[in-house]
Amino acid sequence: MSNSLLSCSEPLLPTDWPNLSKGLVAHVDADQETAKFVLLDCFDQSIRQSGRLLFESGGQLTLVQPDGVPVSQTAERSGNFVADLADGPVKARLADVDPLRCLLNLGEGEIDQQQVKLVDDEEKTHLRVQVLTFSTVDRATSLISLDPVRGYGKSLKLVRKKLAERGATEAAPRQIMDVLFPELHAYVAKPKLEYSQETTAYCAANRIISAYLSVARQNEAGTLADFDTEFLHDYRVALRKIRSVLSLFKGVYGAAATQDLKQRFSDLMAPTGPLRDLDVYLLERDYYFDMLPANLHEGLRLMFATFEADRSAVLADLTKRLKSAAYKREMADLEATFVPPGECIHGALGGLSVGDYAQKLIWKRYRKVSKIAAKIDDQTPDEEVHELRISCKKLRYLIEFFALQFDAAEIKALLKPLKRLQDNLGLFNDYSVQQESLQALISSGRLKGKTALMAAQSIGALISILHGRQLEERARVVQSFARFDSPETRERFRQMFHEKGPQL
Amino acid sequence: MKIIACYSNKGGVGKTASAVNLAYAYAQSGARTLLCDLDPQGASGFYFRVKPSKKLKEAKFFEDVERFTKAIRGSDYEYLDVLPANLTFRDFDIFLSRMKNSRSRLKKALKAVDGDYDVILLDCPPNLSSLSEAVFKAADHVVVPVIPSTLTERTFAQLVSFFEEQGLQAKKLKPFFSMVQSRKSLHGETMERMRKSYKGKFLETQLPFSTDVERMGVHREPTMAFAGNRPAGKAYRALWHELEKRT
Ligand SMILES: Nc1ncnc2c1ncn2[C@@H]1O[C@H](COP(=O)(O)OP(=O)(O)O)[C@@H](O)[C@H]1O
Ligand SMILES: [Mg+2]
Repeated sequence: MSNSLLSCSEPLLPTDWPNLSKGLVAHVDADQETAKFVLLDCFDQSIRQSGRLLFESGGQLTLVQPDGVPVSQTAERSGNFVADLADGPVKARLADVDPLRCLLNLGEGEIDQQQVKLVDDEEKTHLRVQVLTFSTVDRATSLISLDPVRGYGKSLKLVRKKLAERGATEAAPRQIMDVLFPELHAYVAKPKLEYSQETTAYCAANRIISAYLSVARQNEAGTLADFDTEFLHDYRVALRKIRSVLSLFKGVYGAAATQDLKQRFSDLMAPTGPLRDLDVYLLERDYYFDMLPANLHEGLRLMFATFEADRSAVLADLTKRLKSAAYKREMADLEATFVPPGECIHGALGGLSVGDYAQKLIWKRYRKVSKIAAKIDDQTPDEEVHELRISCKKLRYLIEFFALQFDAAEIKALLKPLKRLQDNLGLFNDYSVQQESLQALISSGRLKGKTALMAAQSIGALISILHGRQLEERARVVQSFARFDSPETRERFRQMFHEKGPQL
Repeated sequence: MKIIACYSNKGGVGKTASAVNLAYAYAQSGARTLLCDLDPQGASGFYFRVKPSKKLKEAKFFEDVERFTKAIRGSDYEYLDVLPANLTFRDFDIFLSRMKNSRSRLKKALKAVDGDYDVILLDCPPNLSSLSEAVFKAADHVVVPVIPSTLTERTFAQLVSFFEEQGLQAKKLKPFFSMVQSRKSLHGETMERMRKSYKGKFLETQLPFSTDVERMGVHREPTMAFAGNRPAGKAYRALWHELEKRT
């Protein structure tokens, strides 16, 4: 039987019960002392977004599910990823959390727990109630979950009514966060940007860049703390998007300004590359071990030991850089530059309305994608496939930047086949990049001594497997594009970005 | 789903005590369990503190499946529900046939209220009537407490021949010795004799005579819940275990 959940901003005390349960006797089992609680969620607050609440207190992890049913398990864990939790009901229910995202301490306070049993004159339980009262320095709220016993609906009704009179309202677990930590906003990796019809292309570009600068900045702390690899990844994606805006929105800023800005964002990206490369390897660790037979595992272990040592060094470098005064000054400078309306020099096309401009850009990019793809057959050199991949990525960015300017269902219908094509191209690229850098590792002479041979053997085997997979992906490209290039998709692009005026 | 009846054509032999404890044992093992109190005396409901439902007295409630499912009460133990006493025979007969039929409205209704059961235990009144015949047909096991005395030896013999005469499956009968007092030589002799003449029929477990069973009335809890590690509590667990193994 499912629970129901109420919340009460006036905390519920054990002494309140006699008035809340006429005709029944309340047995209250309340904590003697208040305990500390720590609110846990990923950086993107995916647990809260899914309507749940996760907290740790007194060595227990408790997950309050959307319907109010709490489940608990030991908080012991080997790390802060869901995979690191001890096996138990909480871990099982968090299977949907992004495996690359770790749990962070998003807030703290004190918690009081009461377990209440409401019984009749024969000591038969009619209703069980769990009250969790959370408090921070200046706020408090009780979460009341009612666990009815079958056949005793009358008592449930009665207590609900009394609680309502006491100020309790229907609640969702996530409300606890809204109430206790109102200043805690969810991180959004892809800000949704909306423009009015008068918005110029120039203003739109400023808005996008300023939004993604903010995304990048929000990821700095997590990158420095090295919580999980997604911080750096999102940081880089944000900067890459900004660079795309600069190169795609040609003519919005003046040529000289565009050139200068592109250079500055490249300079910001450059020091993050080595760390990201190593992260990618380390994330693929299990996958690599699975690919090779056990007798080649020792060599892999040596390789990963090298990567781990490298990673510490590279992280230290990046940390120094992100903490430097020069870096902070540069970021502050850029932020000021793009604060709408911005102080950039207006280019020739900057004055166009954003709707017209978006159509123009997307159409142009789509034509380019089609043109490159038209030349690709099974014999075409890899460079051209890479060019197709990059062009698709730019097309995707453009569509996403302007998504809210167009019909949502149409955009979705476009993105779906595009994403599929990109998956294929992305894998093709990953396999090729991995081979190259593994090759580079062997030739670098960094693997020394007796172990070098063993590691080189394993890496060699890995490269040949990766090569095989790359060929498989390559073989799919032509077909993959053909599937993307359906008459419907063509028609859709033409109608949305070439024929009609802006749809707002 | 299986149906287990605790039955004897004699009163006061430990039917209710075993039904209550077996229901508890099944629920503890994670099986969703419904204990039906078929004895108008309402003893098993009493042990779980469940008051008899007034509404149930109305004659035709079985035609209204929803009302029936509403009469079920959750016990204070996880997975264990109780249907309090008050069934008329007619109702009961329909109840059993509907529980057997997987497509019946009753079963569907139970499912819908999140109460589809793995095990149904029947605490039966002591008589050999058309009601008990319905029980024998519906049940997968008929657990029979037998006090090892000459008198109950005869009642058990009557039950076995009733099964034979009626063409019922005698293998459903799962007798066990109840209220055994090891100090009494008569008990020992009777058990030995009966085990011999009903070869392999009797369950191994013997339920000792124990105040922990009588005290269920004081605690209003199954023996296993308040004296799980004492001889009677352990014996009920063993009884459950043996029953599980035999199915
Ligand atoms: N093993 C036992 N030891 C002692 N007393 C018992 C035992 N089994 C049952 N009793 C007691 O005997 C009485 C009748 O038992 P009960 O289970 O109600 O029998 P039935 O349901 O067959 O009429 C009850 O007071 C019960 O407490
Ligand atoms: Mg009885």
